[in-house]
Amino acid sequence: MKLEPVVKNQSAPRKTWPRWARRGIQENLAVALILLGVVMLVQPFSIVLYGYSFVTVLVGVVMFIIVSKFPE
Amino acid sequence: MSSASTTAHSVVEPSANSKRLAGFLVILYAVISMIPLAWIFATGWKTPPDSISYPPKVVFDPSLEGYCNLFTTRTRQTQDYIEAQGPPQGACDEVTRKREMVIAGPSNYVPRFINSLIIAFGSTFLAVALGVLSAYAFSRFKIPLADDLLFFILSTRMMPPIAVAIPIYLMYRELGLSDSALGMILLYTAVNVSLAVWLLKGFIDEIPREYEEAAMIDGYTRLHAFFKVVLPQAATGIAATAIFCLIFAWNEYAFAVLLTSGRAQTAPPFIPTIIGEGGMDWPAVGAGTTLFLIPIVVFTVLLRKHLLRGITFGAVRK
Amino acid sequence: MSDFNSIADRAAAATPPAIARKVRGLSDRAIAWLFIAPTIVLLLAINIFPLIWTVYLSFTNYASNRPNRPVVNVGLKWYQDILGSPEIWASMQATAHFVFWTILLQTVIGFGLAYLIDRKFRGHAFWTTVILIPMMLSPAVVGNFWKFLYQPQIGLFNYIVSFFTGIPPSSFEMLGSVTLAPWAIIIVDTWMWTPYVMLICLAGLRSIPDYIHEAAEVDRASRWRQFWSITLPMALPFIMLAVLFRGIENFKMFDMVMLLTGGGPGSTTELASIALKRQAFEAYRTGYSSAFAIILFVVVFGLANVYVKALNKVKQR
Repeated sequence: MKLEPVVKNQSAPRKTWPRWARRGIQENLAVALILLGVVMLVQPFSIVLYGYSFVTVLVGVVMFIIVSKFPE
Repeated sequence: MSSASTTAHSVVEPSANSKRLAGFLVILYAVISMIPLAWIFATGWKTPPDSISYPPKVVFDPSLEGYCNLFTTRTRQTQDYIEAQGPPQGACDEVTRKREMVIAGPSNYVPRFINSLIIAFGSTFLAVALGVLSAYAFSRFKIPLADDLLFFILSTRMMPPIAVAIPIYLMYRELGLSDSALGMILLYTAVNVSLAVWLLKGFIDEIPREYEEAAMIDGYTRLHAFFKVVLPQAATGIAATAIFCLIFAWNEYAFAVLLTSGRAQTAPPFIPTIIGEGGMDWPAVGAGTTLFLIPIVVFTVLLRKHLLRGITFGAVRK
Repeated sequence: MSDFNSIADRAAAATPPAIARKVRGLSDRAIAWLFIAPTIVLLLAINIFPLIWTVYLSFTNYASNRPNRPVVNVGLKWYQDILGSPEIWASMQATAHFVFWTILLQTVIGFGLAYLIDRKFRGHAFWTTVILIPMMLSPAVVGNFWKFLYQPQIGLFNYIVSFFTGIPPSSFEMLGSVTLAPWAIIIVDTWMWTPYVMLICLAGLRSIPDYIHEAAEVDRASRWRQFWSITLPMALPFIMLAVLFRGIENFKMFDMVMLLTGGGPGSTTELASIALKRQAFEAYRTGYSSAFAIILFVVVFGLANVYVKALNKVKQR
């Protein structure tokens, strides 16, 4: 009762984490956000998009850092 | 890059004609890309009027004036004053007098060049020393969060220099390190250590662990094994890494121009400030550039087998 | 190396390694941290501490030429200013123009050269080394001497162009004209960094095992098909690596362009780093430029993450 749950929790995430939360997909999403933010930063069409570019990159970077700790 | 990699290209060996065409095109590109360098080298041996003549002079009488102007400062004098000086002493004196000038003293090129040497070698030594220790630890031991630490180390090299320069400028002003060789050495060490760790980790990974383990069974301590077994085995890698660090520190401009102004100024910010009477003194610039670039060309040739590793932080080894 | 003669050796061999190591001095764990600590401390002092300071400054009105003025917290004002500023936006577009064209030209020429060098003609090793020289040179010194080549009347570049096209050499100024200056910096960067892309592409081409081409040859796939369905896809991770790194480097380009045009004429070649330098070291708007620096830093940091991902992908090959 005391030890078993701890052991189980360590290996459990591998199996129970939903597919969308897997590292690969999430990491690609983060990369896409970063690249989208960079494109928004340098595009010559809309200053509104330019205004939101930094936030987009920042979210992508933070997400990348968090997601890289997820199991494969 | 070595011809040793010509392995069994049995079926797909290119035909002799396609080889000849490939060779022709590559050599054509190489020759064209060398023209700017050849031109700046030639300009160093021209007289100022030759350097700005139209059409550009490919054939010219070589003159020492560029090199003389690089190493000296000169003042304009009257004909009478120059004649009163007696016979010219040395080739530079003669060249200078033809322009109705006399040599006033040495220029700043030599001190700047020496600054470059001190800062480049100082920072390279520190970066490689720190780098080889860290690389060994990352290569041989299980370190918690090793990947994150390695990425952190690499990301410091990716920072835009101008973005880092603002706080460093303020910090050095507080610490009294602005325009000092020590400050520049520390800064370049910090930039280079990331490259050193990544490159050397690759080299040390390639040395079999068994060597140290055998040595440790023979009674060496871990530290002993590191110094007596691993370091000699990694000598080539250490040399290649050192050359990469040297070239970076030698070439660096952004930090140098923002953080140094006199005492500790290196050659790259100095060369563009060489001016003669009425505009740039291009032969002197050509001479200064030639002397500055020769060491890099020599190092590039020495490094050619390791260049690929160096530019990919040790990831691509071929 | 290991002859088990003395009793001491035999005893040492019999002891479990973990205990033996502890007895013989520092433990592995202690050595590991002892070896890593100096590097980390240096990076914290020279890189991370200044970075945190920059974040702090970006929320204040501090100006480095007026250190005695009381420092006021301005919140996100500078970030809003920069992200609504048409001038900074224009500098980002100038940067994008520069990055896009340099990468395109360098990838096409670099890959082409690598493909040709991979034919392994006689002397290819020597000529490869010659081609690599420009990328090792100091960007500042390169910028400075290209300024000489670009001189309108006397410069070699204008002379060669006029020799081949018949346009009078003094009729155009590469560095003085608003339309030509952005291309002048692209030409120099391409001259300098095509070898870099070439070298990585060459590694990519050489990583393709011969048996794949041999199999395709047996299947009588045409050279053209082989190129599109084998050579290019298999070299692609390497090309991506080169493109990403050149992208990051050129996004923060400073030295070469600073020496060549200084951002001019007007602000046509004022790339992000040059705009930042003007704000920080000419206008002394330290708070504003700190916010600008953080924006650039976050973008580069994000791209560096992507780069390391690509690097690991290539490493697995």
